[in-house]
Amino acid sequence: MSAARGSLLFTDVALRFGPHEVLRGVTLDLAPGEVLGLVGRNGAGKTTLIRVATRVLRPERGSVELAGRPLEAWPRRELARAVAVVPQQILVPFPFTVAEVVLMGRAPHQPLLGFDSPADVAIAARALDRLGIAHLADRSVLGLSGGERQLALVARALVQEADLLLLDEPTAFLDLEHRLAVLELVRERSREGKSALVVSHDLALAARFCDRIAILAQGRVLAAGPPRDVLDPPRLREAFGIEADVLLAPDGAPIVVPHRTAR
Amino acid sequence: MKVLTARRVAAVLATLSLLLAAALLLGLASGPSGLDASEVARALAGGGASDAAADIVLRIRLPRVVLAALVGAALAVAGVLFQALLRNPLADPYILGVSGGAALGGILVLAGGSALGLSYAAVPFAAFAGSLVTLALLYTVGGRGSRLDPTTLLLTGVVFNAFASAAIVFAASLAGLVEGARIFLWLIGNLSALRGDVTAAVAAFLLVGLACAIPLARGLNLLVLGEESAAQLGVDVRRLRRVILVGTSLMVGAAVAAAGLVGFVGLIVPHVLRLALGPDHRLLVPASALAGAAFLVLCDTAARTLLPGRELPVGAITALAGGPLFLVLLRRQRARIFAP
Amino acid sequence: MSGGALLALAVALAAAGEGASAETGAGAKPPSRIVSINPSLTAMLLALGAGDALVGVDDYSARQNPELAELPRVGGLHDTSLEAIVALAPDLVVLVPSLEQRDVRERLAELGIAQLALDPTSFDDVLGAIEALGRRAGREDAARTRVAAIRRAREERQRESAGRPRLRGVLVLTRDPLYVVGGGSFIDEMLAIVGVENLGRTLDGSYPRASLEWLVAARPELVLDAGGDAAAARAFWSRWPSLPAVRDGRVVAIPEGVATLPGPWLDRGLETLAQAIASPPTYRRQPTLGDDEP
Repeated sequence: MSAARGSLLFTDVALRFGPHEVLRGVTLDLAPGEVLGLVGRNGAGKTTLIRVATRVLRPERGSVELAGRPLEAWPRRELARAVAVVPQQILVPFPFTVAEVVLMGRAPHQPLLGFDSPADVAIAARALDRLGIAHLADRSVLGLSGGERQLALVARALVQEADLLLLDEPTAFLDLEHRLAVLELVRERSREGKSALVVSHDLALAARFCDRIAILAQGRVLAAGPPRDVLDPPRLREAFGIEADVLLAPDGAPIVVPHRTAR
Repeated sequence: MKVLTARRVAAVLATLSLLLAAALLLGLASGPSGLDASEVARALAGGGASDAAADIVLRIRLPRVVLAALVGAALAVAGVLFQALLRNPLADPYILGVSGGAALGGILVLAGGSALGLSYAAVPFAAFAGSLVTLALLYTVGGRGSRLDPTTLLLTGVVFNAFASAAIVFAASLAGLVEGARIFLWLIGNLSALRGDVTAAVAAFLLVGLACAIPLARGLNLLVLGEESAAQLGVDVRRLRRVILVGTSLMVGAAVAAAGLVGFVGLIVPHVLRLALGPDHRLLVPASALAGAAFLVLCDTAARTLLPGRELPVGAITALAGGPLFLVLLRRQRARIFAP
Repeated sequence: MSGGALLALAVALAAAGEGASAETGAGAKPPSRIVSINPSLTAMLLALGAGDALVGVDDYSARQNPELAELPRVGGLHDTSLEAIVALAPDLVVLVPSLEQRDVRERLAELGIAQLALDPTSFDDVLGAIEALGRRAGREDAARTRVAAIRRAREERQRESAGRPRLRGVLVLTRDPLYVVGGGSFIDEMLAIVGVENLGRTLDGSYPRASLEWLVAARPELVLDAGGDAAAARAFWSRWPSLPAVRDGRVVAIPEGVATLPGPWLDRGLETLAQAIASPPTYRRQPTLGDDEP
C-alpha cells in the first residue's frame, strides 16, 4: 500500500453542469512521486477535475482512486492529510494574518479543540521561509498583492504535509523568480516521493518541470505522456486552437512558440 | 510570528470578565430610587437592609441585570456566528429573519392574544415558536438542508423580515392603546419583564449556542477561506452550517422572546472585538459573549438612569450608542480593505 | 365656568363656525345626526339622553356601550375614516382635539361639516364639556342636572376627606408595562378629592410609565389597580410584600373606566374611589421576615 501513496487514478470520469458536459470520460493516472502537468483551454475542465479529486464535486460516471482506495472510502480528515490543494485564488473577508492562514493548513493534523503546537508553528515558519515570504507573516492577507497571496496559499498547502499536491494555476500572478521557485519546490517534493498535479497555462514551465503532461480537450484526455511526445503542432492546434512551432531547448525540453490563432 | 496562544485567550477573557463584573456591580448599584452604595451592599450581603431596598436590589435589579447580561451575550455570539456563516463582517443576528419570526409570534399574541384566550405570559413562548418556524422555513426554502448556501439564506431572510415587518405593522395598527405600547416596547427592545422562567430559558439556549460554537471555532476560521477550501482541509461544511444555524437561531429566538428586538449588540460587539482582538474565532466567540453581556448591562443601566424617574427601553440606548459607532466602523472598514 | 371650559367652548365655536348649517348656542335646532369619535363624549351624549341622535361612533365607544353595537363604526383613535364619517351625512361631529385626529378635523372643516371639539382633561374641563354638549344637543336641563350632581359629590367627598390624614397611594393603569396616573389629569384631581396623595405626581406626564423600582421605593400605602384580570393582579401584587399597601391589604381593584374615561359619571367614580379607600384593610400584620403569605 505504501508504494501507492500519492497516486491518483481517474477512470472514465464524467460530469455535467446543467446541460453542459464538462468532463466526458477522463481517464488519467498519476504515479507516486510523479509531477503531472494538466493543460488545456479555458473551460476545458481542468479545475473541475481538481474539484473531483478533492470530493467537492461528485462525478456522474466513473471513479477516482487515491492511493489505490476509492475516493468515497476516505474519511474526511484522512483525505485532508493526504491531498493538499493550492486554489487559484481565494477571497478572505476577515483580516487574518498570513501566518494564521498558513497555519490553517495544519488543521487536518490538529484536534478539534486547541491551539497550534510549537511543532505546527515550526512547520509553518519553514514553509514561509521556503517561499520567501517570512517577512509577511504578521501582515493581514487583505493587504497583500495577488502574487504574495498566491505564495501564502502554496505555503498553506505545504504545511498540510500531504503526499499529493494539486496546484491550480499556481503561478498566474507570480514573477519569473517566484514561478521557478514554486516549481522547483514541486520537483523537490517529487524527489521525496510526493506527487503533484499542476494545472498551468504556462506551457514552457510545464514542459520543463513536469514528468508527463496531459492535454485536456473537449472533456477528454487528448494525450498524456512526456512533454516532448505530447506537445506537437497538430495537437496544439486541436487542443488550443493555435498555430505554433515547437522547438527544443539545449537540455531537450520543448518550447512552444505560438504564431497565431488557428481560425 | 504571532500566533494565538492559550495564555492570550486566558488573559483577554479574564480582562473581559472583570469588565463584566464591574458592569454588573454598576447595574446593581444604579437605579431611579437612589439607594446609596452601603444599602446596596447590605442588601447583597443578605442582612440589615430595609425590605424595600432588598426588594429593589435583589428582586428587581438583580434579575434584570442578569437578563441583560444573558441577552447581550446571546446576541453578540449570534452576531459572530452569522458573520462567519455569511462570510460578511456586517451581518447581524437579525439578518436571516429568525428575529422577524420571533417578533411576529410575540406580537401576534400581544395584539390578539386576549381574543384567543392567551395571556401576556404566553408572549415569550409564542416568540420562540415564531423563531423555530422561521428556522424551518429557512431550511425548506434555503436548500433542503443539504446546501444552505449563504446567498439563498440571506435572500430568504431579507424577504421574510420584510414580510414580518408588514405583518407587525398590521397587527399593531389594530391593537388597542395598552397593546400598542407593549408592541412598541417590544420592537425597540426592552428588558423590564422580570420572569424567571424566561431568563432561565435564555441562559439555557445561550449555553447550547456556546456549546455548539466553541468546539467549532477552528472550523469557523477555516470557513472564512471559503467552503471549498474549508472542505479540502477536512471540515464537514454542511454539518458546520447546520449546527451553526440551529444554535444561533435558538439563541436569537430566546433573546428576542425575552427582550424584543434589541438592536446593534449583535453587530457592534463582534465587529469592535474583531478589530481589537483579531478574527480568530477561538478567542472571538467567548470574548463576544463576555463583551456583549457587559455592553448590554451598561446600556440597560443607562436606560434606567438617564432620565430621572423614567425608564427608557434599552433598545433606544443601544441604537443611540450603536448607530454612530457603526458608521465610524464602516468608514474604518472600507479604509482597511482598500489601503495599499 | 373655568378657564378650561371657556377655552374648549371657544375652540368649539371656532371650529363650528365654517359649516354651512353651523348652529351655535341655544335656540337653534338640535342636531339629529351626530357622529362621535371619542368614547368620553359618546358616554356624555348617552347620559344626557341624546343617544337617539347618534348615527355613528368609533370602535372604542361601541365596545364600551353595548347598546351602540348596531351603529356604523368609523374607525379607532388612530385610523378614523373620513369617508365613513362623511358617508353618514352628519350634522355634527364631536371629538377631542388630539394629534391623531388632526387631519380628520382639518378635512371636516374643509368640507364644511359642523364639529364640536372638546378637551375633557381636568375635572372642570369634563364638567364644561358636559355643559357644552348639553347646550349643543338641546339637552341643557339634563346637562345642568348632571353637572350639579357631580359638583355635589365633589363637595361631599372633599368635606369627608378633609378631616382625615392623606393616604399615600398610586393608581396603576397597567401592571406590565407599568403605567400609573401622574399629575394634571381629571383622575389625579379625583384622587386628591377623596384624600389620596398621588405619588405618581413625582413623575412627568399625565399617564407616565414608571419603573417597578420606583414603585417599590415609593412605598405606597394604597394601590388602586385598574389593570383588570383579578388572578394575574393577585399573583403580581403578592410578589411585593415590602409594599405597605400589600402588607396591609390595601390593594383594591377598580374598574378601568373610572380612571380612563373622563365622562359623565364622575360622581360614581368618586364614590368608587372613596369606597376603595374606606374599606378596611383585609388584614393588618407586623412585617416579620420568614412569614408566609396566607
